[in-house]
Amino acid sequence: MNENQDVILQVKNISKRFVSKGVCVRAVTNVSFDVCKGETIGIVGESGCGKTTLGRCIVRAIEANEGQVLYRAKDGQTYDLLKLDKREMRKVRKEIQMIFQDPYSSLDPRMTVIDIIAEPIKANFPKMPKKEREQMVMDIAAKVGLNTTYLKRYPHAFSGGQRQRIGTARALILKPQVIVCDEAVSALDVSIQAQIINLLKELQREMELTYIFISHDLSVVEHISDKVGVMYLGQLVEFAETEALFSKPMHPYTEALLSAVPVADPDVQMQRIPLEGEIPNPANPPSGCYFHERCRYCQQRCVEEQPSLRQINGRQVACHFAEELDLRGFDYEKA
Amino acid sequence: MDKRQAPIIQVKDLHVDIKVDEGMLTPVRGVSFDIHPGETLGLVGESGCGKSLTSKAILAINEKKCSVQGQILFRDDKDQEIDILQLNPRGKEIMDIRGRQISMIFQEPMVAFSPMYTIGNQINECTRLHITKDKQRSKQISLEMMKKVGIANAEKRYDQYPHEFSGGMLQRALIAMALVCKPRLLIADEPTTALDVTIQAQILELMKSLQKELGMAILFITHDLGTVAKMCDKVAVMYLGRIVEYGDARDIYKDPWHPYTRGLMGSVHKIGTRKLDKLFSIDGTVPLALNLKPGCGFYDRCQEHQPGLCDLREPELAPVQGSHCAACYRCRKGGEGA
Amino acid sequence: MNALQEKKQLRQQRKAEKARQKEERYYLASQWTLMARKLSQHKLARVSLVILGIFYFVALFGDFFAPYSLTAYDPSYKDVGPTKIHLYHEGEYIGPFVYKLTMQRDPETYKKIFTEDTSEPCKIQFFVQGEEYNFLGLFKTGLHLFGAENDAKVMLFGSDSMGRDMFSRIILGSQISLTIPFAGTFISFILGLLIGSASGYFGGKLDAIVQRIIEVLNSLPSIPLWMALSAAIPPEVTVVQKYLLITVILSLIGWTGLARVVRGKFMSLKNEDFVMAAKLAGVTDFKIIMKHLVPGFMSYLIVNLTLGIPGMIIGETSMSFLGLGIQSPATSWGVLLKDAQNISNIANYPWRLIPLIFVVIAVLAFNFLGDGIRDAADPYK
Repeated sequence: MNENQDVILQVKNISKRFVSKGVCVRAVTNVSFDVCKGETIGIVGESGCGKTTLGRCIVRAIEANEGQVLYRAKDGQTYDLLKLDKREMRKVRKEIQMIFQDPYSSLDPRMTVIDIIAEPIKANFPKMPKKEREQMVMDIAAKVGLNTTYLKRYPHAFSGGQRQRIGTARALILKPQVIVCDEAVSALDVSIQAQIINLLKELQREMELTYIFISHDLSVVEHISDKVGVMYLGQLVEFAETEALFSKPMHPYTEALLSAVPVADPDVQMQRIPLEGEIPNPANPPSGCYFHERCRYCQQRCVEEQPSLRQINGRQVACHFAEELDLRGFDYEKA
Repeated sequence: MDKRQAPIIQVKDLHVDIKVDEGMLTPVRGVSFDIHPGETLGLVGESGCGKSLTSKAILAINEKKCSVQGQILFRDDKDQEIDILQLNPRGKEIMDIRGRQISMIFQEPMVAFSPMYTIGNQINECTRLHITKDKQRSKQISLEMMKKVGIANAEKRYDQYPHEFSGGMLQRALIAMALVCKPRLLIADEPTTALDVTIQAQILELMKSLQKELGMAILFITHDLGTVAKMCDKVAVMYLGRIVEYGDARDIYKDPWHPYTRGLMGSVHKIGTRKLDKLFSIDGTVPLALNLKPGCGFYDRCQEHQPGLCDLREPELAPVQGSHCAACYRCRKGGEGA
Repeated sequence: MNALQEKKQLRQQRKAEKARQKEERYYLASQWTLMARKLSQHKLARVSLVILGIFYFVALFGDFFAPYSLTAYDPSYKDVGPTKIHLYHEGEYIGPFVYKLTMQRDPETYKKIFTEDTSEPCKIQFFVQGEEYNFLGLFKTGLHLFGAENDAKVMLFGSDSMGRDMFSRIILGSQISLTIPFAGTFISFILGLLIGSASGYFGGKLDAIVQRIIEVLNSLPSIPLWMALSAAIPPEVTVVQKYLLITVILSLIGWTGLARVVRGKFMSLKNEDFVMAAKLAGVTDFKIIMKHLVPGFMSYLIVNLTLGIPGMIIGETSMSFLGLGIQSPATSWGVLLKDAQNISNIANYPWRLIPLIFVVIAVLAFNFLGDGIRDAADPYK
């Protein structure tokens, strides 16, 4: 297949452990997936599943313990982001940016909006004349739907949605290829969420962006993503095309997760698949399959042997019995 | 409509004003609704629409700077109607209502408990205050309620501190604390917003089954249209301090009338359906309820506004069909707005 | 009718425009503008600022405001109470004036008794020529704010046991008492900022060591430490050098609290999303510290500095009071208070306590001002 050429980012066996007070917590264990250019990859999971850590490892905001992030840069070369030294990283860094969750803490309240958006240019192209720089800021601000006459203001003059636009402008000004959106719309009101999601999609088309969209909100992820990865306790348990995953999950955890989502329609009352107990402590994960204690299809093998992420029909699942189980998802035809 | 039983609570023309330096904040402007026993009313709206202030007014726990007007008629266990706003907010009567007859679940279970006392101790506080002074008996009641909300190993959990509980467990404990006195009305202010979806589903189901068992009414406050669809019989959509649409949940979801409700519904991708290329979105942001202009509060963001009508006088909440009401001039004339 | 409506509309438009402009100014306001705005709403802080302004103004032009110099004394005016200022001489209004005093001793108690010589009124005059001094080190002049004619003495707050004017000495003492804290806090500020931010930024072992040092320094009892350090100052140094050394001593102990504040703020700001955003944008560590972190805790630093100054004032006063600080003839409020050390002095010459009033006012004013700044420090909450 020719598709391999389009792969822009390959995450390979990334692991991250945090050690505090002698206890080792495995936040991310052995996660791998490929990202093609122009795609949106959704990463979902419940709190504590390691999705935020994964995102930060990819942009190298924190250092992963193991693994590779192979990135094909604009110059055509492929770099392993995790092995680059500081100087090389600076070159590649501008092509991989991040949009943050909290529109309040992600903007320095002491800088004007124009300075905030221009900061990446100042850092990377210190010699650019001021005029040109400001023109760039104006262009990008207009693109994300900010009123350019207000750019001299400070962030406290803006509402949450507008602040998120400012954060987006800052991420986009260096013309990146990949953007990691860490819960980028979770803190916003519903109607504002829709504005930002529409904006992100428009920008993607226009600037050929690739998104890694991390969120706990399944309906947002379903809407925006081409492929979705489901994480549980630091592991990727399933990775597939969005519609395939939502209509026919292959991992029991995905099935349970989907059945728990409240649908905004009083007539659709899905039979929830009850999950026994709680998410186990990541410092002391269960033996075998991390999910086996809560899985209703659990068998002896699941207790003893940890399943690896396997390729099945073009999707990836980490379950011993993925082929045999007939799991339930959403019925697209009926809806 | 079901009128077998008189409503437990009737809120009539509730106003909350806050004086600030820049003028008068009017976060709640004439809210009216009633809830019958065993019924769940969903109060839906975005941040700043006044839904939390409304619930605080019912418990008379508004901050001092808020001035609250209107009527909140609560039917107590002796079948008497009491206007909560007429009571002294520190008086004996309201103390008896608060906690025993009306109780509340908060959004953040972590901050709703004091970290200094055991969970059992804090649930027990309620029992001892309202039901029995007998130590053994009250502990027994508390334990029963903890078991009922699905806290496994209740005896052991009773003596644990909040930090030893997970978020979901803590929310269960909070529900146990709220329900231990078998209240007639439960106010749930975003009870599952801080929780994960799987835990959220558990908690919602728990609340539903307990409601069936105890027969209480629930005022369910949230911004999440999904949970409302799952939980509520009736829905009131709030915008800028007013109820803009009110009716049976099914009616509102199937056939929303008010442009704001329609916008809100369109803004959320309905999970499990083919995705549209673009979500419907409402332009602009919710204005601050400060020195408001006359006319409909939604005027500036509404795509169907009629100059010369909507910007002059605020539309009243009026029936559209049966009990389904909407506050919009469009909906008056036989429903061409749909 | 129509014109009236138009007028009304116009007025409304103008009002809306005004409101919009006000809003715009708020939106364009930087951190410092917002802080200043909030501070100006704090009444106590405003009053304190005015009082401190007057104090420092007077201290700056102390030689002009003080009628007498530091070294001037008059043996015939020892231990005199505050001079009485009269307006009427023999029933006739002639403006403020004083009488000369003559001393006698009570034959029995041997106490000094001062009687006014009412024969000759000595008018108080403003902008008079008196002792020469060096005006701000620029030029010599003898101009003073006020003085009495005919060699009469105006001693508003009485005199000390050597016949020196207390009023002049309080003003000239404030030049030291009110500036040592500033010099001291400046050194503390530098030390606290450097050590605190290094501790917060690098963390780990360095942080642990710094914290232990701070704890050790904080656990030292201050008075014995002062005594030991003062003893280490060689006796032959000049007054100016001694002044400097005292400052250094005070600040060497005073930086610890500041370093802790800086470290804490540094650590919390380090984890803010905007710092990570800057990192991802490729901004260098040094620039992140200078552009994001330092401005972030600068307001807190100022609060701490303001609240630290009273401690320094009291510190200097205590040291001088104990005889460890400034020595006569140079003076400070602490040196002046040293005269009020024994009971009989206070009982007989209660005006010796007047410097205390100024210490209290200055300390309170700084505290209130610091309080106001603290409330204003984070305008984004």
